[in-house]
Amino acid sequence: MRQGLLFVLTGLLLAACESYDCTLYNHVGMYAAFDREGAAMQITDTLTITSGKAGPTLLNKSVHTASLNLPLSYWQDEDTLVLSIKGSDYFVQDTIWVAKTNQVHYESPDCPTTLFHTIGEVRTTHQFIKSITVIRSSVNYETTTNLQIHLLPASD
Amino acid sequence: MKRLPTFRYICSLLLISLSCFPLRAEETQPKEKARVLSGVAVSADIVGFAMKAVGAKFANMEVAARINFLDKYFPVFEIGIGDSHREGAETGNTFSATSPYMRFGMDYNFNKKHNGNRLFGIFRYGFSSFNYDIGNNAFADPVYGTTIPLSLSGQKATGQWLEFGAGVETKLWKFIRLGWSVRYKFRVAMSCPDEGEPYFIPGFGKNDSRGWGGTVNLVFDIGKATKKVKEEKKEK
Repeated sequence: MRQGLLFVLTGLLLAACESYDCTLYNHVGMYAAFDREGAAMQITDTLTITSGKAGPTLLNKSVHTASLNLPLSYWQDEDTLVLSIKGSDYFVQDTIWVAKTNQVHYESPDCPTTLFHTIGEVRTTHQFIKSITVIRSSVNYETTTNLQIHLLPASD
Repeated sequence: MKRLPTFRYICSLLLISLSCFPLRAEETQPKEKARVLSGVAVSADIVGFAMKAVGAKFANMEVAARINFLDKYFPVFEIGIGDSHREGAETGNTFSATSPYMRFGMDYNFNKKHNGNRLFGIFRYGFSSFNYDIGNNAFADPVYGTTIPLSLSGQKATGQWLEFGAGVETKLWKFIRLGWSVRYKFRVAMSCPDEGEPYFIPGFGKNDSRGWGGTVNLVFDIGKATKKVKEEKKEK
């Protein structure tokens, strides 16, 4: 009888032991890189990115920026990104609209839930951005480039 | 030379005794032999009900039925309800599932003696088709600041797995027996929506590619495992 009780208690203890197998790198971001006429480049002047005109600041006064890692909104169908470059004697601004779908990504009660996205159409204004190519539409835990932002030639 | 009467007497005794050996074999005690259909049994797993009673993260409450062939082969059918209701302490994520499951397979008794004790090798195939709910009442977008309750109800999933293990069983009183088993489980297939895998598979336990499980079974065993048979006659 005593052995039986011991066995039951051991079983309950084993059942109570649990490890959390959450994904270690659980940042979801949209990655972008710049190029000009096919050559990778960086924006040396101060770059600030906000969500819309009055939304949160996603990148604040970054210099020598070669790539971007931007969070997308959880629930909006389209995110508006305003890119502002401020130099010593100039200020330019472009707006990018990223249409997307949102998918809940649930791992377990003990791991943070997040949202993955699938990028659809991407539009832009053309103050300093020539065009944008969607390289990888899935926005998830992967860290490879989603958008390639082609800048206008310097003379423009 | 005339043979002595004593010699004749001894020879006669030897002959009589030799001719009596087969007769003695016929009169030996009957031997116990397992019946082909040695009984049927129903059982309940005490651990599952205990885990539910103490509010464990999940519980598999099950009953089983089995047939005893030759006191060696025990085809088993197990059916139960898996239950899990969890809320992550730090995340606020919730998971809820209450669904049936079934297993079938075979126990093999390694104990050749029919003394009421059994040492089992266990094999099972398990299956569950179940629904689960996941949610978070305060699901906040950390950058954009919006808080929208997350609720995904009625997610449909299926799980299939195999179990290998060992168990022991002993007689407590008349037809009541107590058994213990330890099982190693392999998940062989699972389907679920893209939104998220279930935290728990009814009958399997916490969702993972493999895991451990155990049972403590209260068994009601009806039937007589053995019959007494006389040994076969030996050829003279």
